[in-house]
Amino acid sequence: MRRALVVGAGIAGIQAALDLAEAGVEVVLVERAEYVGGNMARLDKTFPTLDCSSCTLTPRTSEVGRHPRVRLLTRTEVEGVEAEGTGFRVRLRVRPRYVDPEACVACGRCAEACRLAGRVPRGFDLGLAKGAAIDLAFPQAVPAAYAVAPGRCLQLTRGRCGRDGPRCVAACDVGAIRLDEAERLEEVRVDAVVVAAGYRLYRPGGLAEGRPELGFGRYPQVVTNLQMERLLSASGPTGGEVRVGDRTPSRIVFLQCVGSRDRTAGAAHCSRVCCMASMKQALVLREKLPDAAVTVLYMDLRCFGKGYEEFLERAQRAGVVVRRGNPAEVYRRADRVAVRFEDTLLGRVEELPADLVVLAAGLRPAEGLTELARTVGVGVGPDGFLEPADRRDPAVSARPGVFLAGTCLGPMDIPDAVASGSAAAGAALARLAWGAGR
Amino acid sequence: MSRRVAVYLCHCGRNIAATVDVRAVAERLAGEAGVVLVRDYPYLCSKPGQDLIRADLEAGRAERVVVAACSPRMHEETFRRVLAEAGRNPHLLQHVNVREQCAWVHPEPAVATAKAWALVAMGVARVLRHEPLEAGEAAVERRCLVVGGGPAGLTAADTLAGAGIEVVLVERAERPGGRARALGRAFPTGEPVGPWLDALVGRVTGRPGVSVRTGARVVGVEGVPGAFRVGIVTPDGRAEETVGALVVATGYGLYAPDSPDGGRPELGYGTVPGVVTQAELEERLRSGEGPVTVGGRPVEGAVFVQCVGSRDRTAGAFHCSRVCCMVSVRQARELRARNPGARVRVLYMDLRAYSRGAEEDYEAAGREGVEFRRGGVSEVFAREGRAVVRFEDTLVGRVEEAPADLVVLACGARPRPDASEVARALGLGRGPDGFFLEAHPKLRPVEAASAGVLLAGACLGPRTLDEAVTSGRAAAARALALLLHGRLPLNPRVARVDPDRCAACGLCEAACPAGAIRPGGGLAIRRVEPGVCRGCGACAAVCPSHAVVLGHHRDDQILAEVEAGL
Repeated sequence: MRRALVVGAGIAGIQAALDLAEAGVEVVLVERAEYVGGNMARLDKTFPTLDCSSCTLTPRTSEVGRHPRVRLLTRTEVEGVEAEGTGFRVRLRVRPRYVDPEACVACGRCAEACRLAGRVPRGFDLGLAKGAAIDLAFPQAVPAAYAVAPGRCLQLTRGRCGRDGPRCVAACDVGAIRLDEAERLEEVRVDAVVVAAGYRLYRPGGLAEGRPELGFGRYPQVVTNLQMERLLSASGPTGGEVRVGDRTPSRIVFLQCVGSRDRTAGAAHCSRVCCMASMKQALVLREKLPDAAVTVLYMDLRCFGKGYEEFLERAQRAGVVVRRGNPAEVYRRADRVAVRFEDTLLGRVEELPADLVVLAAGLRPAEGLTELARTVGVGVGPDGFLEPADRRDPAVSARPGVFLAGTCLGPMDIPDAVASGSAAAGAALARLAWGAGR
Repeated sequence: MSRRVAVYLCHCGRNIAATVDVRAVAERLAGEAGVVLVRDYPYLCSKPGQDLIRADLEAGRAERVVVAACSPRMHEETFRRVLAEAGRNPHLLQHVNVREQCAWVHPEPAVATAKAWALVAMGVARVLRHEPLEAGEAAVERRCLVVGGGPAGLTAADTLAGAGIEVVLVERAERPGGRARALGRAFPTGEPVGPWLDALVGRVTGRPGVSVRTGARVVGVEGVPGAFRVGIVTPDGRAEETVGALVVATGYGLYAPDSPDGGRPELGYGTVPGVVTQAELEERLRSGEGPVTVGGRPVEGAVFVQCVGSRDRTAGAFHCSRVCCMVSVRQARELRARNPGARVRVLYMDLRAYSRGAEEDYEAAGREGVEFRRGGVSEVFAREGRAVVRFEDTLVGRVEEAPADLVVLACGARPRPDASEVARALGLGRGPDGFFLEAHPKLRPVEAASAGVLLAGACLGPRTLDEAVTSGRAAAARALALLLHGRLPLNPRVARVDPDRCAACGLCEAACPAGAIRPGGGLAIRRVEPGVCRGCGACAAVCPSHAVVLGHHRDDQILAEVEAGL
């Protein structure tokens, strides 16, 4: 039986894993987070069809979670990849979840009981909501099991939790919580490796690369595009109601190319998805808040995919105003903010009052991608994303047997990421099945 | 058989629950005949949601299931699988759509709730009459036919053959390569395409399991996934190939600015000296060295006009052609390098340099002196034997004239002129832009609607070389999932003919769009080929003697459903 390792369980990695498994390959799918689905799980709707993201993603995540030929390891990272025969010996570091996913029924009593309930910022909601030190990222998560945040949990950080011990353990009816679970190392032997490590979002307020003049982190009215997804999502912190504090915004401004096409922010590349992501959010906002003025400030509207130009027109017809202009600054104006920008078509500097500013933050290489590249033995391009052997065939890396998929190759949208996941699986199958007597 | 029904109501987050009062529906259903259990859940499609249903079935609480949730197109298969995993026949399920057909279209909660209840009650009435249906399996021919020998088709063939699948590659031209043969240097790396393409063609044709038919075209497909019979016309006559799957990679066409319908004569193509298409310039750059000349003189002024025949309803196409911005950037750079001192201007609407490295290329072009002007071109005309481009610079808000000895029209990608013929021969759908239609724009980007038929490359829409190669590999992977598996489950929800009632009139045969009905046996009674039948029911509707029965859509099932709704 042939075996493959897939690193990263976002939509590209899931697609690669399922394609390989359907063709008869045993797959070990490793994911750094506690759940599969990657950033797509955070999205509310997807362009250009406005399908709800979880409705399209969930069938794939549940399939990958129960496929007999896919072994899923969450909170797991790759430590080493050594050549062995025609394949690889892979060392994996499996960090504890502190909850037995087989036993957990995701009832949520542990999180209610946690002493820190309502005090721990939820990573999945990008800091927009607070939860407990034991949490389930989202209702449809696979595995459908809670996980403990080791840096937060009192028992794990201080060695004790209150006078009478951890309340979560007492609250769990099924005895699923294992606060003594230890990290373990595991070795697997595989014939091929697919790297689908994904991306991270640019931090607009960061010290090293940020654009502090846009007010992110300073004004509650300024959010990133990914935070906006959580605000729009029915399973998000506001239940899909768009609010800033307790106010419903009536003037919303999108700023494009934040941290993209901008060497001063450390990236010359175009992030490829943000124009359409903003167009989609702007249209959804116009539908949710018909009285709100929604303006998108852009450099070039890059709506190049199938049906995208048509979507741009639809958004404009729905009242989304697009203006070509560079934002200079976001600052406080009474209890709101204002965006100063140059309208490059009118050749005029203007000020737009706003009670919600959405920064279309660009896509950057995932945290630790360079280290992963070194571990796996593949190259990194000048933009920090992984480098294929030949850019005309991006699925194939320079190391034989290692294949590349999804946004670790550079920004791409969901259809392109899915195709790229399949492409990596195809390239791997061409290697795995060769000489297998088929 | 026991007929106890469990009903599961999905909230779909707030998609359903915001409008439909799910609890009220549940309460009202509790007394319904046959219903022994009613549950509601935030996301039934999630693993805990599925586990809920599975646990009830495994505990023997019910035998039949109604799920009221999104469209069955979304999750009917998911819940059928849950039944199967719980040891039940998957067809003892009725999936009721209370999202698209209720919550999303009725803003008034009371109305939506009443309708949701009625829809679920109809589902209960129907599922009580469901019968277990058994799915058979078909053998799969471990061969694949690839239509089109451009980069996408070649890559698909290479990948399939690498995995040990026999491949028949059908190419219309005299040799494989497709439109990529006309490319000089592909952006953004600037490496020449020719040697790369030759190597790919050599690798594919050199593989033992690959046979290449050039000068050939596909004229029709019959049969079923796993065993398609494909008719091919070659220079030597007609042939038939039996294959398990098909990869369609027939490529794209190009907009002609002088086309009699929807052309743009005001751009001077064919009438003003020095006006060429992007493809024509590419050919000059590919085939020649040194300075680019027009009429024997090196070009001193060049203007690229973007979006010719793209993003333009008056020219018959609203879509963006995706690659032309980046091609022009690369050509403009090469022109500046070959004709030092030449003034090169690119007139664009939005500069869409999205591909990896393309933005850097765009930046470099600007640094090297290529002028990018955002503007719409009104006209190209001749003055004293030289072309002049009149355009509005929308950034400075001024109409200008740019004299040029080379005007390059970035003509958009279009469906091939024979796209409708190919679509008919292969049973493919086409989108509003005329390109072939994928089964799902996001999750199944390289699959056609019919099983076993894959799509790759620019026949799906404009794309770059690396994207074409990627989709070729992806289509191969999806084909391999079927071909390496070796067996294909058949759809049991198909028609069958009751031989005691059949009068052999042949109306069903004429009505069948899939060609699944044939004379069977000596009495010329009709017979349905289960692997071919799509379960549409056209035959059942026309049969005068009620001899055709569509499994899962029997008259009594539908009438009971209607009855419950009235």
